[in-house]
Amino acid sequence: MAAPEAEVNTHTGKLEFSLDVPFPSAEEAIIALRSLSPDREPRRGGISKQLSVSGNTLYVRWSADEARTLRVSVSSFMDHLSLVLETMEAFGPAVKLHT
Amino acid sequence: MTVVIGFEGSANKIGIGIIRDGEVLSNPRRTYITPPGQGFMPSDTARHHRAVILTVLKEALDQAGLKPADIDCVAYTKGPGMGAPLVTVALVARTVAQLWGKPLLGVNHCVGHIEMGRLITKANNPTVLYVSGGNTQVIAYSERRYRIFGETIDIAVGNCLDRFARVIKISNDPSPGYNIEQMAKKGSQYVELPYTVKGMDVSFSGILSYIEVSSAHKMLSSGQCTAEDLCFSLQETLFSMLVEITERAMAHCGSQEVLIVGGVGCNLRLQEMMDVMCKERGAKLFATDERFCIDNGAMIAQAGWEMFRSGHVTELKDSWITQRSLCLFTTWRTPWVI
Repeated sequence: MAAPEAEVNTHTGKLEFSLDVPFPSAEEAIIALRSLSPDREPRRGGISKQLSVSGNTLYVRWSADEARTLRVSVSSFMDHLSLVLETMEAFGPAVKLHT
Repeated sequence: MTVVIGFEGSANKIGIGIIRDGEVLSNPRRTYITPPGQGFMPSDTARHHRAVILTVLKEALDQAGLKPADIDCVAYTKGPGMGAPLVTVALVARTVAQLWGKPLLGVNHCVGHIEMGRLITKANNPTVLYVSGGNTQVIAYSERRYRIFGETIDIAVGNCLDRFARVIKISNDPSPGYNIEQMAKKGSQYVELPYTVKGMDVSFSGILSYIEVSSAHKMLSSGQCTAEDLCFSLQETLFSMLVEITERAMAHCGSQEVLIVGGVGCNLRLQEMMDVMCKERGAKLFATDERFCIDNGAMIAQAGWEMFRSGHVTELKDSWITQRSLCLFTTWRTPWVI
């Protein structure tokens, strides 16, 4: 997992943070993406979070007005991510669907 | 045969239940209990749920003697409830639904209580009193919807009981309401408390401030009444208000059945008072015990079973949780009930 420090984007003036999470397979990365995506950040929180998958890596990008909201969002994301990983470990691997 | 697993965790209980065509195969549950004087906060409650949810899930499958492949649908509470605990449970439900290749289904917590109550008691078309820590509503079914006839205009009845318990430092184990009910049995003196019914609605916040800041608290500290007397008086006042609005809804709907659901619904004094009213009207009371009244996974599985059988599923992208109440539209009941 690669996590650079939060830095200020000189064009937008916003704080940015990114996280790259490698999974054993692309399939698992997509399951995590679909489990973690549906719940949106609070509308007036001055924060946005983008999730995407490429290959077997889950990419997360934050952009925030304040360090406090960024910290809360990243910390709660880490809790959510570790729960999804534990669930995969305990109840995986994914069944192969014949579709 | 249709097998549905239900995940519930909208408040301080985390429960996972499995239902196969009306039969409860398993229904394990854990409760987050806070020290006396303290309520449960969203982030602490979510941490509790995260710590135990996978153990509870294993128990649910083991007790039912089922493998993931035997399950047809994964139901979870979409809302209403506390945000952080709801997300915790939804995350696991979404992940296992994908791992097992099963459809996902978001269920309204309130509909879960009603459908479980109907399953267990066999009540056909009851007027429903839904009373818990977060909800107080009188609900009746008409033309494909569960319609709210009356509700609290401020705090829920269970919230009033919980906060009263915090004021006089009653234990939260197993639940504040249960401990108030036991203490109320030893109360002898009735302390008059504000009785606030406004049409079909009720209000409880005034009762709480009356106890917190005014004469009731002084009576207690000066020894004019005991904590047991206050428990007794509080129950009599709150439950009379609930019986009054339930009776009014019954008269409006011409209903001859009452079903009490929600955590406060396992209070035997509430059931007793409601039963007196029902007998006077020639109506029948239906209630369940703490296994099914209090939040549990099987109730979400049961509502999910009805929804799944009538063609519902929730796409992953639409599986966001909501803290607010949802539409009470049904597709599984006949439009009109005589």
